[in-house]
Amino acid sequence: MALYDMSQEDIMQLLPLTEPVLLILLSLAGRPRHGYSILKDVEQMSEGRVVLSTGTLYGALRRLLDDDWIERFEEDDTSRGRQAYRLTPQGRKNLQLEIGRMQHLTRLANHRVAIKES
Amino acid sequence: MLRLYRGLLALYPATYRDRFGAEMSAVFEEVYADATLQKPAARLALCLRETSGLLSGALREHLRLQSSAPISFPFPIRRIRMSKGFRFPKSTAFLMLLILAGVVIAINQGENISVSLATDPSIARSHVPHFNFVQDIAMMLGTVYAIGVAVWGVLFVLHRSGTHRLDDLSTEQK
Repeated sequence: MALYDMSQEDIMQLLPLTEPVLLILLSLAGRPRHGYSILKDVEQMSEGRVVLSTGTLYGALRRLLDDDWIERFEEDDTSRGRQAYRLTPQGRKNLQLEIGRMQHLTRLANHRVAIKES
Repeated sequence: MLRLYRGLLALYPATYRDRFGAEMSAVFEEVYADATLQKPAARLALCLRETSGLLSGALREHLRLQSSAPISFPFPIRRIRMSKGFRFPKSTAFLMLLILAGVVIAINQGENISVSLATDPSIARSHVPHFNFVQDIAMMLGTVYAIGVAVWGVLFVLHRSGTHRLDDLSTEQK
């Protein structure tokens, strides 16, 4: 089932995202990127903690493409066989849902820790 | 290294290679060009990371293709849509009848055996159980197969009914 006909409840069942997938989506949130650029951006965002191999990256991109979270983006410069990707509107909405879920969890965690300390 | 990379790419399913193969090779060439400027340890780490990534990726794609292949059933599995988020397969009734029939037959066979043991004087005298190796093995395999089918049926029905989603209930108001 493609994601465009999924309800929010259905999408919530796909969350939480793994860290590499979250970082890939965050990398594409700013602008379209090709594979090499995604690899470097993920490494930079995670301060060198997450270093993806090309096999892992394209496995994730394949799943995100099949689920309509991202789409191919035609660039002017395709001389080096580069293919750029960008978030779809549905992918951006799902990413926002995940960020909202994480914010809720963080607020809850801070609240519980504060209660324990006091 | 590039030759090894392309060799490992050949482990992927053909559809995946056609879709991403050239692109992956191009990205790897860029990554490898970066690594040649670094220390040997960094190049070794890259080789290990890429090799394990390609091997696990190829395995994952093959498993995905296998698991997405249509499975044929000896009975119709059209689903009745009862309500949003809840699907109940028609095959449930058939599977429940099958399991019930199996239980009834097993009870009946057990009763027959106990009656024959009680009335047969030769068995009562010797108390030595009689083993037929081939028959016993066949019966054991048949029993294991029947139990497996029953368990699969129950799991299939539970999965289709969406019971596994109950632990995903969100407490947040939407």
